[in-house]
Amino acid sequence: MRERTTLILAGVVLLLAVLAWNQGGWEMAGEGLLGGLRTLVRMSPLLVAAFLIAGLIQLFLTQENVSRWLGAESGWRGIFLACASGSLVPGGPFIYYPIAATLFRAGASLGVVVAFVSAKNLWPLVRLPIEFALLGPRLTLIRLAVTLLVPPLLGFLAQGLLGHQSDTIRKSLEP
Amino acid sequence: MNLATLTMIVLAAGLWSYAWWRRDGSHWRGLLRGWSTLKSTFPLLGLAFIIVGYATVLVPETGLQGWIGSDSGWSGLILALGMGTFIPGGPYVALPLIGTLNDLGIGLGATIALVNGWAGLSLLHAAWELRYLGWRFTAIRWTLTLVFLLLIGSLAQAIFEGVS
Repeated sequence: MRERTTLILAGVVLLLAVLAWNQGGWEMAGEGLLGGLRTLVRMSPLLVAAFLIAGLIQLFLTQENVSRWLGAESGWRGIFLACASGSLVPGGPFIYYPIAATLFRAGASLGVVVAFVSAKNLWPLVRLPIEFALLGPRLTLIRLAVTLLVPPLLGFLAQGLLGHQSDTIRKSLEP
Repeated sequence: MNLATLTMIVLAAGLWSYAWWRRDGSHWRGLLRGWSTLKSTFPLLGLAFIIVGYATVLVPETGLQGWIGSDSGWSGLILALGMGTFIPGGPYVALPLIGTLNDLGIGLGATIALVNGWAGLSLLHAAWELRYLGWRFTAIRWTLTLVFLLLIGSLAQAIFEGVS
């Protein structure tokens, strides 16, 4: 997957280099390349620190711990715990969607699972250092401030409006 | 060294000291894990930053600002959220690109809508969500999230646009 992404990005770089050369000759082609590399070098200390923080956080948190904290909680307490667990659970979509499906099958309500998936997508703790490094503190803090209430609100809204669908969805997930 | 770098170094040092204090070897394992992720994503990061460099010299600023800039209103926010759902790749690819678009002046609301669209409503992730949680769950979560994220982008634009 990562090799494929690298190849696609290399193709995009080549295309952009040709576009820049076509528009402004070798000078513009070189300017784009050097500008990008200069930014990468300038951000290197920040990136090294961000990757170290992400590595240590992943070590302190395991999927087993997070699933255990969430357990079979329900109601408003379950929704807040789901938000915390979603934020803490490490791993990509191939890990947290199966966890969400397991929670649903184990009896968690629609609101709890919506809150879990939304928190994982919008507030993942492991991604925060990388976001901080690549987007800057101002943008990261503002985005966090305005999305802070979204996962629990989505959980409450899903439960309040469509909570009666929980059993139907649960049945459709049976193997 | 700027404040962001200093904050991250202090945080990394604090976490590493905690790992060392646990005396279970996690200080080495954390270093190795961080180093191995950095090493394996470095080619991606390098390419993403070169794309950022080319975007900076090639993208016409006025056109972008017109489409999704702070004066483009709801249509700009919807477009930014929609563009975010299409951005492929992990944070190492998506975030530098979104950061560059922000530097080109697209406005705070649009930048936040792009990040939220990519993070909350990624089309690539939808395949996993459909497979593991089914179409009913996916439809409910996507509809509610879409409405909320549009409101959030608009709120960010209204409250924080002048904050520097």
